[in-house]
Amino acid sequence: MRTSADARTASTVIGEEFADLLAAAQGGSEAAFSRLWRNANPALLRYLRVIAPGADEDIAAETWVHVVRGLASFRGDEQAWRAWLFTTARRRAIDLARHRSRRPETALDYATVAQLPSSADSAEAAMENLSTAAAIALLAGLPRLQAEVILLRVVAGLDTESVARMLRKSPGAVRVAAHRGLRRLAQITADAGVTL
Amino acid sequence: MPNIPQPQRQDEPVVTDADLAALLAGTTDAAPGLRPVADVLAALTAEPTGMELAGEAGALAEFRRQAGAQVPAQRPRRSSGLRSRFGVKVGASVTAVAVVLGGGAVAAFANVLPAPIQRLAHEAIGAPIPPARHHSPSHSRTAAPDRSGVHGKPPARGGPGASRQARPHATPTPAAHGNPQSQGKKGNPPGKGNGKGGQGQGNSQGQGNSQGHHGSGQGQGNSQGKGNGQGQQGKAPHGPAQQGNPHKKGPHGSAQANGRPAGHPRRSVHPRPVMDP
Repeated sequence: MRTSADARTASTVIGEEFADLLAAAQGGSEAAFSRLWRNANPALLRYLRVIAPGADEDIAAETWVHVVRGLASFRGDEQAWRAWLFTTARRRAIDLARHRSRRPETALDYATVAQLPSSADSAEAAMENLSTAAAIALLAGLPRLQAEVILLRVVAGLDTESVARMLRKSPGAVRVAAHRGLRRLAQITADAGVTL
Repeated sequence: MPNIPQPQRQDEPVVTDADLAALLAGTTDAAPGLRPVADVLAALTAEPTGMELAGEAGALAEFRRQAGAQVPAQRPRRSSGLRSRFGVKVGASVTAVAVVLGGGAVAAFANVLPAPIQRLAHEAIGAPIPPARHHSPSHSRTAAPDRSGVHGKPPARGGPGASRQARPHATPTPAAHGNPQSQGKKGNPPGKGNGKGGQGQGNSQGQGNSQGHHGSGQGQGNSQGKGNGQGQQGKAPHGPAQQGNPHKKGPHGSAQANGRPAGHPRRSVHPRPVMDP
């Protein structure tokens, strides 16, 4: 029987193919880069929806521009690749938060039809979004550090040491934050009877 | 913010650290109390939606743009940069070497280098021999024979002028500086050959000189004022010691007047041939 954890691992990690994909992408292969992008961008967006709500897509796009520019010089395994991606996104999010604190913006209330996202199967997408959006909403209710640690460990697929380096915390502090976040999440779901 | 432990509620699921670690690692099935949490985490890692993949075209366009910009632009820039840097260094080195060698050669042929270096240049590139710092018959470059000796003029007139003129070719001695009586006529005194009277033995007796190795001149300037001029025309390029200046009288014709004690030949400073008018 395939558990939810197995499905999570399978969806977040490329595995042994990563080195070849990275080399091909660095050599200019669009297909290889597309594979890397499709693997990482959903996780990136989900992470950004928690730490930078409302600016997730913009920050993700900026992150990929930065990554594309530095792709040729990148060296490392899949863990390092993901750490690079999420560190870049996190820095962009922090920069954006600082910028917005200095210059408050007024959100636009409308969008043209062409700007609205489209999907082949809107119903299915809505259902997926619902469960994923509900999970993200639950995570967003956690303290910032706990939510971020869980997202980086689970969504980004980073190990404790990588998360600790990224957040400039000790591995022990990261472990504690993750456990507290999960305990709190369990408590919230038990209290509310949440079913996704 | 301090973490204050709170008493566990009765309805709160019992969760161990091992369960949480397993939940995070996603390696085992969730414990019964953590199943809702496992579902939340699974929803976080669900398959991507269409919206989440909508930006692929833009990312690929950026990738294409960067890939197109990197390949043609970086290589020539790097190679041209290296080439220009290398060229500047080589050019500067060649220029510096050319300046040093050229300047050295010019200086060597101008005979203005220090003697050891000049000697080295002479051996290497055929530059002139460095000038002797003291009168040496073998190194005199002024071998012009003095015509005065041919004419057999009266004794040379001494004096400072005479001594000055005689410097190149003869080691002046007190005798060579004329004598008080050498107020002779103008003209070239006898024995004004080109002889290098370098071995002259100046003394107060005026038995000066002109006993040079090469010179046959036997000028005998002495303090007695017998301004000699008995010298003969030098046979060798280094003729006998010159004595006297045809253009100058020798009022200061004593050995003392010329300030040269006996036995201390004056060093020649201007190795120039004596040209008679």
